[in-house]
Formats: sequence, structure tokens, C-alpha cells
Amino acid sequence: MSILDRIADGWRKYRKPGYYDEFDYHWGMTVDLDRCTGCEACVTACQSENNLPIVGEKAFAEGREVKWIRIERYWEGEFPDVKLRFIPMLCQHCDSAPCETVCPVSATYHNQDGLNTQVYNRCIGTRSCAVYCPYEVRYFNFYDHHWDSPLDQQLNPDVTVREKGVMEKCTFCIQRIRQAKDVAKDDGRRRVRDGEVQPACVQTCPTQALVFGDRKDPESQVSKLMNNPRTYRVLDELNTDSSVVYLKKVEDDHA
Amino acid sequence: MPNIDRRDFIKLVGAGSVGVGAGFMLRETIKHPTEQLIPHVIAPEDFSTGIATWYNTVCSMCAAGCGISVRTREGRAKKIEGNPSHPVSQGRLCALGQAGLQVLYNPDRLTGPLMQTGQRGSGSFAQVTWQEGLDKVADRLELLTAENQGNRIGLLSQGVRGHLAQLFELFADQLGSERLLHYDFDHPHTLYAANHRFFGEARLPYYDLKNTRYLLSFGADYLGNWISPVHHSLGFGHSRQGRSDVRGRFVQIEPRMSMSGAAADEWISAKPGTEGILALGLAHRIVSEGHYSGVDRDDWTTALSGYTTDQVAEQTGVGADTIRRIADTFVHTEPSLAIGGGSAANHSNGVDTLVAVNALNYLVANIGKPGGLVFNPEPAGPASQDRQASYRTMLELAEDAKQGNIEILILNGTNPVFSLPSAGFEEALAEIPLIVSLSSFMDETTALADIILPSHTYLESWGDDFPEPGVGFSIGSVSQPVVSPLYNTRATGDIVLQLAKQAGLSDAIPWSSMKDFIKDGWRLIYDRGGLDTQKESFESFWRSILKAGVWGEKTHRDPAFTLDKRVINSIAVPPPEFSGSSDAYPFILHPYVSTTLHDGHAANLPWMQELPDPMTSVVYGSWVEINPATAGQMNLKEGDLVDIESPHGQIRAPVYVYPAIMPGVIAMPIGQGHVTYGRYANRGVNPIEILSPRVDQRTGALASSATRVKIKATGRRIELVKTGGNSRELGREIVQTTGGKASQGHSAKLNSIPITVVPT
Amino acid sequence: MPEAKELQYADIHRDVVRSIVETGPKYYITLGTAIFVTLLCFFFPWFYQLYYGIGAAGLNHPQVWGTYLASFIFWIGLSHSGTLLSCVLHLTNSSWRKAMYRSAEAMTLFSLVVAFTFVMVHLGRPWFIHWSLPYPNQMEMWPNFRSPLLFDVMAITTYLTGSAIFIYMGSIPDFAAVRDRTIGWRNTMYTLLSLGWRGTDREWHRLHWAYTFLAVLIIPLAVSVHSIVSWDFALSIVPALHQTIFAPYFVVGAIYSGTAGIVTVMFILRKYMDFGQYITKVHFDNLGKLLLVLSLIWTYINMVELFTGWYSGASTEHEALQYKLFGYYAPLYWEMILFCAVAPLLCISKRFRTSFVPMLILSIAVNIGMYTERFLIVGTSLSRQYLPDAWGLYVPSLVELSIILGSFALFSTFFLIFVKIFPSVSMYEVKETMSTPKTEPEAPPEGNPA
Ligand SMILES: Nc1nc2c(c(=O)[nH]1)N[C@H]1C(S)=C(S)[C@@H](COP(=O)(O)OP(=O)(O)OC[C@H]3O[C@@H](n4cnc5c(=O)[nH]c(N)nc54)[C@H](O)[C@@H]3O)O[C@H]1N2
Ligand code: SF4
Ligand code: SF4
Ligand code: SF4
Ligand code: SF4
Ligand code: SF4
Repeated sequence: MSILDRIADGWRKYRKPGYYDEFDYHWGMTVDLDRCTGCEACVTACQSENNLPIVGEKAFAEGREVKWIRIERYWEGEFPDVKLRFIPMLCQHCDSAPCETVCPVSATYHNQDGLNTQVYNRCIGTRSCAVYCPYEVRYFNFYDHHWDSPLDQQLNPDVTVREKGVMEKCTFCIQRIRQAKDVAKDDGRRRVRDGEVQPACVQTCPTQALVFGDRKDPESQVSKLMNNPRTYRVLDELNTDSSVVYLKKVEDDHA
Repeated sequence: MPNIDRRDFIKLVGAGSVGVGAGFMLRETIKHPTEQLIPHVIAPEDFSTGIATWYNTVCSMCAAGCGISVRTREGRAKKIEGNPSHPVSQGRLCALGQAGLQVLYNPDRLTGPLMQTGQRGSGSFAQVTWQEGLDKVADRLELLTAENQGNRIGLLSQGVRGHLAQLFELFADQLGSERLLHYDFDHPHTLYAANHRFFGEARLPYYDLKNTRYLLSFGADYLGNWISPVHHSLGFGHSRQGRSDVRGRFVQIEPRMSMSGAAADEWISAKPGTEGILALGLAHRIVSEGHYSGVDRDDWTTALSGYTTDQVAEQTGVGADTIRRIADTFVHTEPSLAIGGGSAANHSNGVDTLVAVNALNYLVANIGKPGGLVFNPEPAGPASQDRQASYRTMLELAEDAKQGNIEILILNGTNPVFSLPSAGFEEALAEIPLIVSLSSFMDETTALADIILPSHTYLESWGDDFPEPGVGFSIGSVSQPVVSPLYNTRATGDIVLQLAKQAGLSDAIPWSSMKDFIKDGWRLIYDRGGLDTQKESFESFWRSILKAGVWGEKTHRDPAFTLDKRVINSIAVPPPEFSGSSDAYPFILHPYVSTTLHDGHAANLPWMQELPDPMTSVVYGSWVEINPATAGQMNLKEGDLVDIESPHGQIRAPVYVYPAIMPGVIAMPIGQGHVTYGRYANRGVNPIEILSPRVDQRTGALASSATRVKIKATGRRIELVKTGGNSRELGREIVQTTGGKASQGHSAKLNSIPITVVPT
Repeated sequence: MPEAKELQYADIHRDVVRSIVETGPKYYITLGTAIFVTLLCFFFPWFYQLYYGIGAAGLNHPQVWGTYLASFIFWIGLSHSGTLLSCVLHLTNSSWRKAMYRSAEAMTLFSLVVAFTFVMVHLGRPWFIHWSLPYPNQMEMWPNFRSPLLFDVMAITTYLTGSAIFIYMGSIPDFAAVRDRTIGWRNTMYTLLSLGWRGTDREWHRLHWAYTFLAVLIIPLAVSVHSIVSWDFALSIVPALHQTIFAPYFVVGAIYSGTAGIVTVMFILRKYMDFGQYITKVHFDNLGKLLLVLSLIWTYINMVELFTGWYSGASTEHEALQYKLFGYYAPLYWEMILFCAVAPLLCISKRFRTSFVPMLILSIAVNIGMYTERFLIVGTSLSRQYLPDAWGLYVPSLVELSIILGSFALFSTFFLIFVKIFPSVSMYEVKETMSTPKTEPEAPPEGNPA
């Protein structure tokens, strides 16, 4: 095989749909909008697990808050026939992620588990990934954040604290994934069991609207939910091939 | 040696460099498939996360009593999660529960005992030792007890349960004081009273949301902060998509859409205070259509004769068709359930309203059935009296103080100066010679104390809890310290025990620590028998409870219940009364307990301040919600500062144009407006300040939704701090929906709606 | 060259060399002011931002890009029509190019340098900018060759190198001329700079050949640079940025603002450096025509952009359009239309084109308009994206405004230093355009031009 063929082959392989199927896991999440109540327990859980900063009122007013998962709210209709619909929005871990192509230093890339990962150490802060991400789930560190002592004691030692000038976003709680893999390895298991990894947001969701798991395992909860007729992807028309799949809200209108 | 001149040399070097560079890049391209561009930054295989220690304990952030597991590393608490084996939380947690860490690690915590040095309220305190502080209090207590003046000692605590409540009772008893009260702003007095009237016991039943198919909620924000939000959310999720055959439907009746209103399938706004009338209208329809066939059918017919559909439609502003449809669906969908609370219960007719809601449950015979209303067995723990002080009781306490009948007031974690409207409580406190506070934080009431004996937070203390309401069977949970105390503070129970000892009460209260006291208490539970656990020794029983964090017994209460005829005959809901004339004060103020800050006690937690309000996405501030049409007429836009004036005061807040609130009603969240509660809390305004002192006639509970107000534009505006940009979807199908018109009316084939079963 | 009737070869040398060696207090005051303003308005706020974080700028979510990037495009744009125009005119043998191309090329160079500093200012962690370069390293970390930002790095570096070589090469005979008329350290410096130029036929031949070669090379390079800059935006899927027309739009815009920039610079050179005889009405007339044509093309593309947005029928595109035309920043949009589409129509009149002050005003207006264009591209598109709940607003902060102001001082500083080192008018090429002298002047010992 000539050198050129080998290069072309490498690229073809990479671009082939299902490329990631060759790897061990393909993590994914489902969000059942018929269960979600907009309670935002997930938001605080993520903030707690992932050392998200407390930015303060001023920075919040300036639009510099950091929430790896946020609840968007959309009003429909006018009083009295009015509805408020919630939708949790987090990194969709797109398999064709626009944010990945634009990063000049590959600080955000797709790992073999199908995660869109963010390498803080490598990020130079161009913020292009945030522009390219249509879901607007990338958050930039406009400052060095500060935890009033002793609030710093609550910081999770398994997760880094990001410095000013770098981009951050939902990691699918990669530290928990790693921990589960370690535990599986210690137990002599080749694979992590379904439900063994629960990102903080999924873990806490009081209505169980969020479900996380391995999409490659057909028996996993998440795989089963992904076969539900209610599934859809947000901004599917952009072909981001996201790993977060939503289940439509059921609106059982009375009239 | 070939003849190479200077130029050839340069050419060769140039060509060589380009060639080497190109070759190198080519090799790299082949070597690394794209996904391995950056091998260095992929964490090395032997990277390992730390090993954490988890402790099971109980959440104390609200009265629900969820079981929690706290993750600790190197002696520090890092994360709170629900305890999966706890029946209330089942591993889940609300945002506030998560934020408990910030109570522990709050930078504004009191770090040791303090004594007021200046004028009360001057805020000048000096550090003292525990001994000094305790001596001062204990001496006075001893003196008063010795003189048989024990009743001049007041004990005012936040709502506590379990053995701490028992300890307080024992303590008060031994001191000879009858003035032991609990005070929480959002305690559902009217619900207890209504249950007392209807079911004959002032307790909360278990509302089985999980198995219900049709829920009517009269003002109860059961997903936000009503009674047990995490447990209700679990039930909600299951009811919605957890069963293969049916999807539960939810109807919410309230003048301003709450979180539960947003989650409901149908949101109905009845005129404020007429929710009970609507409930009786539904009851009338059920009975008059012959859907009720109990023996007391005729009594009901008579009692409800004044609540014909048309009359009720007229009084409540809810369409007659809607009333008929809901009543029919309610009776035809089995099991169905009605609950009431929140603003519906906070009117002058609050108890009557909730009695009417109970009547609906009675008429569809869901009492004691799955998916209905289930009576809880007696709690396994100490049977303590309900000591919750209503607004009226607090006024009496204030009056007593003014009369000079109170020598010492011991405060425990309650903040009435912040949460009692127009009660003159601050002036009353001025008449009390010695005020002692056991709070962990400086707050508006603690700032007036003479001696502050700061308590541990719940994550540093021993305690236990017997959740009210239970989950239909007996449970109890033990809470244990998960970290060693951060500061020179002590557990509330230990402070009380120490005071008792120093005041010479150690004969009756011999325990040296709260842990011993609780352990002895649990010995009683263990001894009571009938427990599987008695197969093991008490010590191993105790250890297993500490490990599990919860203990439960599948004992069910007999659902049998007969309704007293007199209750039926007296059923009626009078129209609500409001303070202020509708001419001078055209709007009804709908104050609601903030979903994020609750009644204000969570306002010092930065995570909660930064958590967008679920409905408006506002953070860090106060706002007033106004119907879009009304705002249009008054030419008000988001952020316009308005003065909100009631007959009892005036506050200023920015407008939030809220699509789901009735015209004629304006709403404000309670929780902000602190002044001495620390760096994160001191902001916004407190609508409690302008509430009228009107009460529910039967209980004396504050009718917090019964104040009329007027609003005046100030011509100034501010930018609301919030996350939401545009609140409309613009047809972009971001939140997609299904179902809809396909399933109509009460005979809807619920099976036709796609259901998702989560295998658990 | 009608005005230069009396001009002799020697006059040219005298004038130009004088402009290098004779430095009055006016120059020092100007240079001092420029350096002072640069330090105060550019470096001081930038260092503050480095210390405090990008939060010193008005940027936020979702508006993570702002004036720094707008300024970057602006300066890259300004860099066009310097070298690019010079190349085109060189290849088409336009005689009027010769008096002004040196300063135009210098503009290119310094605009690129200023543009680069804006990249540094824009980055969250500029101290790691070298990570965007592909250099072999022990950690085996490579930049991402799929990233349009990386294309940018490549294109701009190449353009900068090309332009630098071009201007330097074209200056060699003039360095030699200055060398021969100076003494002391200047003589040493110009001896080095002129690389031993003697003015032999062979040298002239080689120079012409290499110069033409570079000119041919640079034209596509310049076009590619702004196309590639446009891809930073067009390759995104942001409504109103995801546009196929962006590459030509940016190139035309770049040449447009660059041409206007040249008018401004030429006015200043003419007025303050006594180059009235070399920079004449002819230049302004021609540049005015060019401005008119560019303005028409620019306006056309602008309308096409609006049309395609509208024609897409997509809610997102419509909203972005609506916001641009009637939203918070609408006044800026209409200002841009006035300055870049309407005002240049005045160039239809020859009288206008040949009036120096009105042309100056127009050229400045066009560049204000073009800056606005860049700001609107970045500023309005990002605030109205797919998820309405995440919409936001961005207002530049004082730090940003100061840095923008300071960047002009930085540019001026570079330029002021340049005019003291480089002969800012190409002497030999001006001489090429003159008729052979009738009487023999005090012959310079240099070769035969042309
Ligand atoms: N508690 C405690 N603390 C100590 C000491 C102690 O005895 N007890 N000793 C002190 C002393 S003397 C020392 S020297 C330091 C050592 O402190 P560290 O330098 O932190 O030592 P390690 O934990 O052994 O190794 C660091 C990391 O290097 C990774 N690593 C291993 N091989 C490679 C490799 O080839 N490439 C790269 N990039 N990474 C690799 C490992 O996976 C590990 O995560 O600790 C000091 N601190
Ligand atoms: S925790 Fe669950 S229910 Fe609450 S907002 Fe998040 S996804 Fe929705
Ligand atoms: S959601 Fe955004 S950040 Fe996440 S992978 Fe997709 S494009 Fe990237
Ligand atoms: S901000 Fe960081 S991660 Fe994002 S594109 Fe720039 S360097 Fe890459
Ligand atoms: S998966 Fe983890 S990182 Fe992502 S939103 Fe949930 S909690 Fe945050
Ligand atoms: S509902 Fe109450 S007890 Fe349960 S987690 Fe939330 S705050 Fe804690």
C-alpha cells in the first residue's frame, strides 16, 4: 500500500460512521422531558461535583456564569392558556462535534469512549469552540475564580480547578467514569456494569429524567430508552450526531 | 569531492530541510491516526481517583427529612448525595440538599461563643469562652427554676423532630416552662388543622403520587418546596413515565404558575382564595351526577347544595365546562388524588379550603388505597407534641414579652425578626432581659441576642429524624457527624444537656452527650420488640443503622376510616377576606416561598443564590411578577423599579413580566431581603415586611396571601440578573412535544400516549 | 507626473534622504506622543487584562468573541491593498503606483503586526500561542490541522513573510542610494541593508525578475489570507456567519478598507512629509475610482448576504438578520451603510476625487464603516444563535476601546520609525517615470535606472 493510500485510508476510517463502535464504550445520556420538572437539582449537583466557580452577582450580571448543565425555559401561549417548558442543556458530546474541528491546538477532542473531552492544560483560550458549539454549553473562565475560605474545602480533589483563560464544559463526569473503570478492573471485570457510572446530575435527578449509560450495550437502560418512539435530538438538523438524546414531553392537552 | 559552490550549498541545504520536514510530517501523519493526535493529554492508564469515605446521615435543609450520603476525603465533606436506601429520598436530592455543604463551609459561620458588648442591635460582640457563656445562661436558668419562675423562660426553636425535640421538651419541663415553641414561616398549620377536622388527627398522611393517575393540586407546589419535594418528584417521575400502562395526569390550580404548575398537564387559575370553593364545586358535581354512592350521600347533597357548578364558576372565575370536565375526570380516573397547600391554604379560609380538598379524596374513596391518601402509622420515635407556633401564638409570645413575663428567651435556629410580619417582634425582644441564641449564623434575630452559643451544623452533629409525613410505614433515620467540627461550636443537643447539667437538672437529664441520649432513645425502639433486628445485639443493630442511615419497618396502618357526619354538615368555604380595599389597593399580593432560598434560610448559600429561579431564571435578587397585559396597561417593562405598597408598608422591587399570573395578582418570592445574614444573603427585599397580620380564623396561621397592594412606578430601572435570554422558542422546536390533541377528554385513552418504562 | 516638471534626479535624492536624516522636533514630539499613547492605551490595559483575565473586556456568554477579533480582521483588511495593490500595479505597469507603493507596503507589514498583537490580546492564554505552531516536540503534540484558526496562522505567517521580503527587496537600490549619501552609523546600517548593491545591470535584472516573481506570488497569497480569515467565521454553523459568500466578501472588504487606508496615509505623507510633488492629484483620482468600484462590489455582496439570509427561510437566519438591521446595534449597521455604500458614491465626481481634504474625510469614513462591519459580523451574530434562551448582549468595555485606540498609536509608532529608516518613496522607481535629464547633474555613482 502506498503512503498516500495509507493516509487516505486513515482518514476514511476516521470519517466512517460507526467509527467509535470499535472502541469499548460509547457513553450517552437520555433526558426525559416528560419527567423533568425544571427543579435544577442537576445544576447544583454538577456545580458541586465539578468544582464550578461561584462567580458572584457582578460577574453573573455580566454573563460570565459557569453552569455545565443549565435549564432553558420556553414559554408557549398567552395567559390563561400558557405553558412553560423546561429543557436541561448540557454538552451533547456530539460525535461530529463542531467544537472539535475548530480548536487549533486540539484541546478539545473526541476520546475513544465517544466523549467530547476538554483538556484544560492544552487550551489557549481562543474561545472558538464556544462559538462553534450550537448548544452554547461551553463556558469560558473570564477570571481566576475564588472560593471564600473555607468554601474551598468542599472542592472535589478528583477534579481540577480551572484557571482564567481556559474553556470548560460538561465532561460527562469523566472522573466518575474512570473510577468505575478502576473498580471494574479491581473486580476483575472487563466492563463497567450498566448504572455503575452515574454522573452527578443523573445521580441526583429526583424525577429520574436523566439516564446515563453505554450506548454500545444493547441491554443498557440508555440504549433501551434511545429506541423509544419519543426520542429526538435537539438541533438534529445540524447533524452534530449528539450523544444526548431527548424524549419528547407529552402534552396531554385537555381540549 | 564534487565541486560545490556557495550557491549550490545553499540550495542543497534548503532542499534538504524541506525534504526532512516534509518526510517527518508525513511519517507523523501515518503514525498517528487522528484520534490519537495528542497522546500526552490522555490521562495515563495508572491515573487513579481517590478513595472516598461515605457517611449516611439526614438532610436538615428542609422539613422533608431526606436521607443523604456524604462523600468525604481526608476528613472534608465533598459531596452530598441521596441515600439510596432511604425511602424518602431514594438516592435523589434537591438542589438545596446538595447545597448543605455550604452550610458547613460557609465563610460567614459563627466560630465561637459571643457576648453582646454594646447596645442590642449594635452588632458589637466580644468572643467569650464556652464556660463563660454557659455559666451566664445556666445561672439565670437555675435561679428562675429555684424560684419556681420557670415559666418565665422561653424556648423558641426552629421545627425539630426526633430526640432533639424530645430533649427540648424534657428541658422545658424540668425548667418548669410551658413556653416551648417551634417557629417556621412555612409550616403548614392549616393542613394539620384541616386533617384534624376531617380525619380526626393533626398529622400528615402519605400522598401516594407515585401510583396516582390523576392529581388535582390546589396551590400545593409539591415539586418545589411543599412538604417533601424530592419524594414527590420521585412519585411524579414514576407516575408520568414509570408504568407501562398509564401516564399520570396532573392538574394545578393556583393564581400564579409554580414549578408544579409548569409540570402539570393543565394549569388553572382560580381567583385567589376561592380554591376551596372550587373543590366544593367539584364535589357537588361528583355527588349530583350520582358518582358518589356512600351511605352519607344525602348529607353530602345537602351540604354541597350551595356549590352548584354555575355558582362556583361565578365565584372562582373558572369556566363551568372546566369544572364539569375536571370533576368527571377526577371521579372516573382511578386512583385519583387531591392535595392542597401553598397559597390556597394561606388565606383567611385556609382550613376550610383544605377540608374541602380532603372531601374530594373522600368522595372518590381513595383513602388508604395505592395512588390515594395513605395514613401513616405512629412514628417509631419519641412522640412529641406539635409545638409549631402559629402567627397568633407568636403574637401572644410577643405580647407576653412586652408584659415583662419573659426573663430569658433561648432561640434555636429560628429567625422570627425576619419572618414575622408587623408583629412588633423586635420591640418585644427589647423587653426580654436575656436573649440567648444557639444559631450557627448571625441572622436578624441572633443579632439581637445577648449571648450567642453557636451550634454545629447538621453535618457535624448527632441527631435523628422521623420524617413527617412518613412514607406510609415506620421509618427513622440517624444522623451522624461526617466531619470533625470546623470551629469552636457545639451541637445544639450538647449545649442543652450542658445547660441542664449546670442548672442542676442532671437528675432528670443525666446524659452527657447527645449521642448517648439518642442511642438510649434508639434502645427503646430496639426494645419495643417485634423487630426483625432484635435477633442481633443492640450494638450491632445500632451500627447497622449508622451504616445504612435509616431503619424501616413494613408496618401499615389500617386504612379504615369513618367520617363524622358533623364534618359533612359543616362543610363550607367562606369567601376569602383581604386586607386593604380593592379600590385603594387594586392588586392581591401572592408571596411565595422561593424555590431556591426557601423561606430565606438558604439565602446565605452562594450556590442557591446563583441557582436561577426555576420559573424566571433570576438570580441574586428580588423581583415582582406582573401579568403581561397588566404590565402593558401600566407601561411597565422588565427591570422597572416599582414601589409595592400595602396598608402595612412599602417595598421596592424590579418588575418581571410573568406570562402565567392572573391579572389583578402580583407575586413575589420570599427569601431575600436579609441584612445581617452574611455576605451572600444581604440583598433584595423581604415581602414579609408588607404582609397584613390577617390570619386564618381557625388556626391563627398567617394568611400570607391575603394582602392587597398597589404598585407605583418609580421611573427608575435596573437590569435583572438572570440567565434567560429570549423566553420564546420561535418555532425552533427545541422542546419537542408529543401527544397533545390526540388524547382528549376524561375518557382519554391514556394508553395511546407513548409511555416509557425505565427498567429499575 | 505633471507637477514634477522641474524635478531632477538629484532633487529626489535630496528630498528623500533629507526626510531620513533631518529630524525636526515635530517628528520627535509626534513619535513621543505615539509611544506614550501606545503604552498608556494599548499595553497598560492589556497587561491589566492579562492579570485580571479576559473578563476585563466586555465579553461574556454567548458573546465570547468581540472587538479584539473585529480589530484583528480590520487590521488584516487594512494590510491588503498595501502589498497587494502594489503587486497588481507593478504587474500592470501603472506608473502612478511608484510614488506611493513603499508606504503602502509598509502599511501592510505593520497592519499585520498589529493584527497579530490583537490575536495575542484576544487569547485567554497568549503565553501558550506557540502551541498553535507545528514544531516537533517531545510530547508529540501537534496543532489541529482541521482548524480554520490554524489555516489562519499559516496564511498570515506566510503573508507576513512574503510582504516583508517584498518590501525589503524593493528597497535595496534605495538603501544603496541612501548609503552613498550618509556617513557614520547610518552609512554602516545602510551598507548592511543594501547587501552590497552596486547597481550593475545584472543586479537590476535579477531584482526585476525576483520582484515580479514575488508580486505574482503575493497576489493569490493576499487573496487567500482574507478568505482564510473569513473561514474562521464561515466554517462555523452560527447563523449569519455560516455564509459561502464570506471569502469574497472579506477579500473585497479588505481591499476596500486597505485602499481607503492608503488614501489616508498618502494624505498624511503629502501634508507632513513634503511629498507634494510625488503624491499628486493623479494618485487621488485613481484611488478614488478604485474606491468607487470597490464600494459598489462591497455593497452588492452585502445585499446578497442579506438576501441569502432572508431566502433561507430559517428562523435562525431571519432572527440574526432582523437583529442586525433593527436590533440593539442597528444604528451601527446604518452608519456602516452610510459610510461604505452611500458616501463613496461621491467618487463619481472627478472634482471630488481630486480634492485632498474631502478624499481624506471619505477615506476615514470608509474605514470607520469597515471597522463597524467587522464588529457587526462578530458582535451581532453571536448574540442571536440557535437557542433563544441563551441569547445575550455584548457591550465593549473601556479596556477594549482603549486597546483599539492604542492599536492606532502602535501602528503610528511603527510607521514613524519606518519613515526614518526606509526611504518612504521609492526613489529609483520615481526616477523611472521621469524623462531623462537634459543636463548632466552631479552624477550619482549608481547604475542606470531602467
Ligand atoms: N505522602 C508522601 N508524600 C511524598 C513522599 C512520601 O514519601 N509520602 N515523598 C516525597 C518525595 S521524596 C518525592 S520524590 C515526591 C514524588 O512525587 P510525584 O512526583 O508526584 O511521584 P509519583 O506519585 O511517584 O509519580 C507522579 C506521576 O507520574 C506518573 N508517571 C509514571 N511514569 C510516567 C511517565 O513515564 N511519564 C509521565 N508523564 N508520567 C509518569 C505516575 O503515574 C504518577 O501519576 O513525593 C513527595 N511526597
Ligand atoms: S434534576 Fe432532573 S427534573 Fe430536575 S431539572 Fe434536572 S433533569 Fe429536570
Ligand atoms: S454540544 Fe457543543 S461542546 Fe458539546 S460536543 Fe457538541 S459542539 Fe462540542
Ligand atoms: S478555547 Fe481552548 S478548547 Fe476552545 S478552541 Fe480555543 S484552545 Fe481550543
Ligand atoms: S454529566 Fe457531569 S459534568 Fe456533565 S452536566 Fe452532568 S454532572 Fe455536570
Ligand atoms: S427535600 Fe428537603 S430534606 Fe430533602 S434534600 Fe431537599 S432540602 Fe433536603
